[in-house]
Amino acid sequence: MTSQRTAILFVLPALVLYLAFVGLPILQVAAYSLFTWDNGTVTGFAGLANFARLIDDQVFWTALGHNGIWVVLTLAFPLMIGLLLASILAECSPRTIRVLGAIYFLPRTIPLVVAGIIWGWIYNPMFGLANWALDLVGLGVLGGAWLAEPSTALYALNVVGAWTFFGFCVLIYLAAIQAIDPSLYEAAQLDGASWIKRFRFVTVPLLKPTTLFLGLYAAIEAMRFFDLVWVTTQGGPGYDTEVLTTHIYKTFFLVGDFGYAATLSVVLLAIVLTVSGVSYRLLRSA
Amino acid sequence: MNKLLKTRLVASTMLVASIVPAGAETVVTQWDQFATSGITAAGPAMDELIAACEKTLPGTKILRTVVPSIGIRESYRLAVSADKTPDLAYTWPAASVLAGYARTGKVAPLDAYYAKYKWDGINDFYRGRNSYKGKLYGVPMEQDLMGVYYNRDLFKKLGLEVPKTYAEFQAVASKVKEAGYVPIAFGNRDRWPATNTLSLILGLTAGRDGEEKVLFGDASWNQPAFKQAAETLASWAKDGYFPRGFNGIGYDEANALFLGGRAAMTVTGSWVLQDMARGAKFDLGVFMLPPIADGIPAGTMWGEGSQWQIAASAPDATKDAAAAYVDCLISPEHRQVWVEKGFLVPIGTKAEDLSGWNTLPAVKEFYAEGLKTPDTNFYDLHTTLPESVTQVLYPELQRLIGGNATPDEFLTAMQQSWSKAVANGERWQP
Repeated sequence: MTSQRTAILFVLPALVLYLAFVGLPILQVAAYSLFTWDNGTVTGFAGLANFARLIDDQVFWTALGHNGIWVVLTLAFPLMIGLLLASILAECSPRTIRVLGAIYFLPRTIPLVVAGIIWGWIYNPMFGLANWALDLVGLGVLGGAWLAEPSTALYALNVVGAWTFFGFCVLIYLAAIQAIDPSLYEAAQLDGASWIKRFRFVTVPLLKPTTLFLGLYAAIEAMRFFDLVWVTTQGGPGYDTEVLTTHIYKTFFLVGDFGYAATLSVVLLAIVLTVSGVSYRLLRSA
Repeated sequence: MNKLLKTRLVASTMLVASIVPAGAETVVTQWDQFATSGITAAGPAMDELIAACEKTLPGTKILRTVVPSIGIRESYRLAVSADKTPDLAYTWPAASVLAGYARTGKVAPLDAYYAKYKWDGINDFYRGRNSYKGKLYGVPMEQDLMGVYYNRDLFKKLGLEVPKTYAEFQAVASKVKEAGYVPIAFGNRDRWPATNTLSLILGLTAGRDGEEKVLFGDASWNQPAFKQAAETLASWAKDGYFPRGFNGIGYDEANALFLGGRAAMTVTGSWVLQDMARGAKFDLGVFMLPPIADGIPAGTMWGEGSQWQIAASAPDATKDAAAAYVDCLISPEHRQVWVEKGFLVPIGTKAEDLSGWNTLPAVKEFYAEGLKTPDTNFYDLHTTLPESVTQVLYPELQRLIGGNATPDEFLTAMQQSWSKAVANGERWQP
């Protein structure tokens, strides 16, 4: 009993801070969504009317679709590349692991705002490195305004996202691979399994919890990222890189419709909580 | 040790004395966007005039905060919603947003101050833009104009003359393109530059009267003059007047393209005059875009861009002090400081005044041209439309000029958004 009370006392300060800075604002935002607002001023009770507006809000559905695409692409590329590189790296010398691991992880240490600015320059249609490099290898015809064309903007941005995330995947996977019992690989090798078969039948299955963790992390990040889009395209051209967070920002800060912005935030929270809940169950069962 | 202690005591006393206002002092908190470079680079003028006005208004202390122009509307909105509205603010984007604050009672009506200080230099156009349902809520100060900056040296090299008609303008742009230069330096990654360009074109296809029928009347966006404006802007993009990938080029990058001599013209406003005039390594010229539709008079887009507004929540004494201070700032004797130190031309300044003052030739040229047509100058959509409509205008314009929406689709999207805003009571009504 005493130890339980002591434990509660230890947890209490963090709990109070959490409730004050996370719990309370969430409740506040949920309450905002039930009212109509005009330029930051409450003008009346709206009930669920703000939620009904979601149905006809084409920008919301477009943004949600882009978040969905981002989730799929993030799960597909950075995780796959990370897994592959980590598997190769695991067989290298400790020195190589340290050097390459640090290099791969470097983009992760760059804030997304800075990454956005750097890649904005790389993609710049006037002086960008991307078009210059294509010109250099005689593929200048493939050059374009990467962030300004509806067909390429979202994917070009996703490359930036993948660039900042894959190093993190490499390190997490590497740590997990190094924790796998080496006797399993030795046994597989004695049975004549090739590297690919060892990867397919030993590494991948034993990394399932790690993959689930990274998948959950990536999915949540993909739903709530904002800074990269805002500093590069602000959701444009048109609505082609609009995501839920940029839609929320514009509705809140630029239009001043706090009620609908709060509604969008509540929906985003619900999506993230659902993804988290499902992933948590999967992780526990893995 | 004792000496150090004494020094600290004296310093502390001075510090306390400096932050504790004297008994009769009225402190006015001021937010403005006057920096020292880029857009609205009138910071030095602001500093000088605060000092000058505090001298003439004993008992008034201005507590100034510079909020970068790029984020001031968001910061101000948050401050208002948190009931922390600064007593006095100079914010953009003018009429449309001001109307929202007037509607919700967050800014003070200023009719009594207009009468008391006889701010007659502010004409009906500007008064209208600072009114909501018959009451005045803002004091405009600067005159923003749109024009065409051009590289006079490049024009000479290519044997080009300043165009007098729209057909001549098209011919100039085509010749520049044929010569391997970019006709118009334009970048719309920031989304707002195209709204200014469309505003200019729209005024020259619909005229001020035609605009007012939509903005204040019941006419629809789906009409020939508006369609011609959308078609004209789309054709500039399609015909290669703009640099490749313009929707991915920033406003500053486009200006750099022009200042670097790789583009012959750029269509933008007087708000960037200082950077243009100082950055150009060539002979910089300015002309006004000629009328596009038949029968439309010459004119240009103008507006105040931003305005002084006083918080409704401020105590009466603070409101009075703020109004007296604004009167000092906009007084005719201080116009010269704004022009010479801030490259900001106050409302009421005439081209003849400028010619005698120490400012850059481009400033004089810009206003000599732009102030020729006060009766036909027209609206800036960016500062006139409600924010909910502006947030549709931005992406729809990117789609239009990017070739991803037709002029009809653009106008239909605008009309839908406009109808919704009007139904919600968001429209600014002078």
